Amino acid sequence: MHSPPHDHISASPDVRGAEGIEGSVDSGPVLEVRFGEYLQEVGVARRRVRYGEVVASAPGAEGKVRLRATDVYRILRPYVTPRFVEQAKAVAPLGVYLVLFQLLFLRQPVSGGWIVTGALAAVIVGLMLFMEGLRLGLMPLGERIGETLPTRSPLSVVLLVVFLLGIGVTFAEPAIGALKAAGTIVVPERTPLLYGLLTEHSGLLVLVVGAGVGVAAVLGTLRFVYDWSLKPLIFATILPCLGLTAYAALDPARQEIVGLAWDSGAVTTGPVTVPLVLALGIGVSSAVGKATSSLSGFGIVTLASLFPVMGVLLLGLTVGPAGAGATTEVVVGGWLSQSPVAEIVAAIRAIVPLVAFLLVVLWMVARERVSHPGLVTYGIVLTVLGMALFNVGLTFGLAELGNQSGGALPAAFTTVEGVPESPLYIFALGIGLVILFAWVLGFGATLAEPALNALGMTVEELTNGAFPKKLLMWAVAIGVACGIGLGVAKLVFGFGLAWVLVPGYAAVLILTLFSTEEFVNVAWDSAGVTTGPVTVPLVLAMGLGLGGAVRAPEGFGVLALASLCPIAAVLTTGLYVQWRTHHEQAV
Amino acid sequence: MPDREIVILTDVSLITCIVQKGMADTIVLAGRKAGAQGATVYYARGSGVRERLGILGVAVEAEKEVVNIVVADDQVDRVMEAMFLAGKLDTPGMGFMYVTPLEKAATYVPHDVLERLKEKAGR
Repeated sequence: MHSPPHDHISASPDVRGAEGIEGSVDSGPVLEVRFGEYLQEVGVARRRVRYGEVVASAPGAEGKVRLRATDVYRILRPYVTPRFVEQAKAVAPLGVYLVLFQLLFLRQPVSGGWIVTGALAAVIVGLMLFMEGLRLGLMPLGERIGETLPTRSPLSVVLLVVFLLGIGVTFAEPAIGALKAAGTIVVPERTPLLYGLLTEHSGLLVLVVGAGVGVAAVLGTLRFVYDWSLKPLIFATILPCLGLTAYAALDPARQEIVGLAWDSGAVTTGPVTVPLVLALGIGVSSAVGKATSSLSGFGIVTLASLFPVMGVLLLGLTVGPAGAGATTEVVVGGWLSQSPVAEIVAAIRAIVPLVAFLLVVLWMVARERVSHPGLVTYGIVLTVLGMALFNVGLTFGLAELGNQSGGALPAAFTTVEGVPESPLYIFALGIGLVILFAWVLGFGATLAEPALNALGMTVEELTNGAFPKKLLMWAVAIGVACGIGLGVAKLVFGFGLAWVLVPGYAAVLILTLFSTEEFVNVAWDSAGVTTGPVTVPLVLAMGLGLGGAVRAPEGFGVLALASLCPIAAVLTTGLYVQWRTHHEQAV
Repeated sequence: MPDREIVILTDVSLITCIVQKGMADTIVLAGRKAGAQGATVYYARGSGVRERLGILGVAVEAEKEVVNIVVADDQVDRVMEAMFLAGKLDTPGMGFMYVTPLEKAATYVPHDVLERLKEKAGR
């Protein structure tokens, strides 16, 4: 179809009468113009064509449209631009903030700046491709399975599928690569058990985390079916976690894994896990005949953040420290000199098993065909490419930048060789600056999370406006900020993570007891929602960098606290909103 | 019921605009600015241009939003133009719009407006 050319909207009153209807100017000082003619002249040009003529001259029902280069550009622009911008808004400000802080306040240049910038660009593009591929490739498969499997198979089969899906999605999470990258920053001599878990046993670690997610997904699905309340499930899960934490913390050989265990819970619930597991869960609940209340979706995220903690703690308690063979394996520079091909292979190894699993379930168990195979294939290819790019960008950009930033922080308050003016500030000011830096980082990164926006809207609807979206977003952001600040303080001052976690979660449990079901659902999920694929590697790397620089035993735990504090913040705010509503109604 | 009446609005047309999901808000805003009183948005699934664009078809969302705006016949051209330009419907795959003449419409008319109309009619 040919488009009518656009006219400029002219401000000049010079109407020359394009149709030649008006008389010539020199017939007199007055020119009569139909207003409609004037409007046509200043408005968009119009052309009337019979539709039949357009269709008759088109090549045929399935013929291709011939496109000019401008048309191709015009089609692709509204497709690519919003997706790119969405990821850029999440990544770029963080990068700029870290670099600026390091330059201005710590007076240290960022080494390898261009590589880091290129890698961050790779992260943006990689995430863009990954999310689009997820939407077009994996999600339709998951939703189809969710719609058809529960009607054709008994519950036990469905639960088995859900469990295996939980393992599969964990391997496919982009942020899981961050745990593996973290293994290169850990010092083996001081924390042999931790090092072993992250390198020698890294496959087993991810498997255990995945199994935790699987169990959580199964419990979440059962919650859909039998309408269980979330509160008893939380108690039943947290108490063993805290018990195991306390046990591990008191054992000097095992206490180093506490941070990793609680951090791995934050890593799991990402853009792959949540939608896929939800799709299955919702499918199950509609097959069983329950109406999907807006609360149905919650709970899985919470459980999927808690069970991996238990799993990793149990793994740490059963596996011995890495043998002597592991410490001699020097992997310095091992990750940093990977060729792009290796990233693609790693991405394939992460995505393809999940896709194969979904296809097998779809064909064999649900006996369905894939509805748009071309589109799904395109989606899967995009996912693999996106993940490969993201992993490259992760290693050279996010992890690198976080590590440098974290490593540069101690210059603010102690002497550091290599930084001639350290300490840059007096002790109290330096520490304060570092904690403030971490606080603002957490606050900004959280507000930029799109998932939080979605959660806020759901909450506002749920409570009929009593809990506005802005309030929730601020509560969560402040919670995460305080958590990251606390985490940084933990690294600097060296107090044990368990000393904060156990009382912290105990306090949160008490708050949970007094809160209503809706707020409990929302609050516990908000923590899982906030730590996305950009913040997780960044914060992990920063913690490890800082921990290494201040000679802390290990740098994990920041994410764990960043998950604990928003729960407390939202529950407290929820109790306040409850109290206020009650008060207003009583008056 | 003598104390309630129905005001029949005549000379109305329906502008229907089918766009990709997510783009309805721009169109509705443009329509409002051009003088439309309101809009209704449905969700639908579309096909046609996507199949003919080949590989570029993935850039066109199959999920659609259908925007219905009822306007007076005098306003049709202006509103239609505004919606067309705002939605960039001259780009392949961006959407399709059409105008249907309506027999009549009815809705709430504010009392003072009604009084003024009656006065004008009486005059």
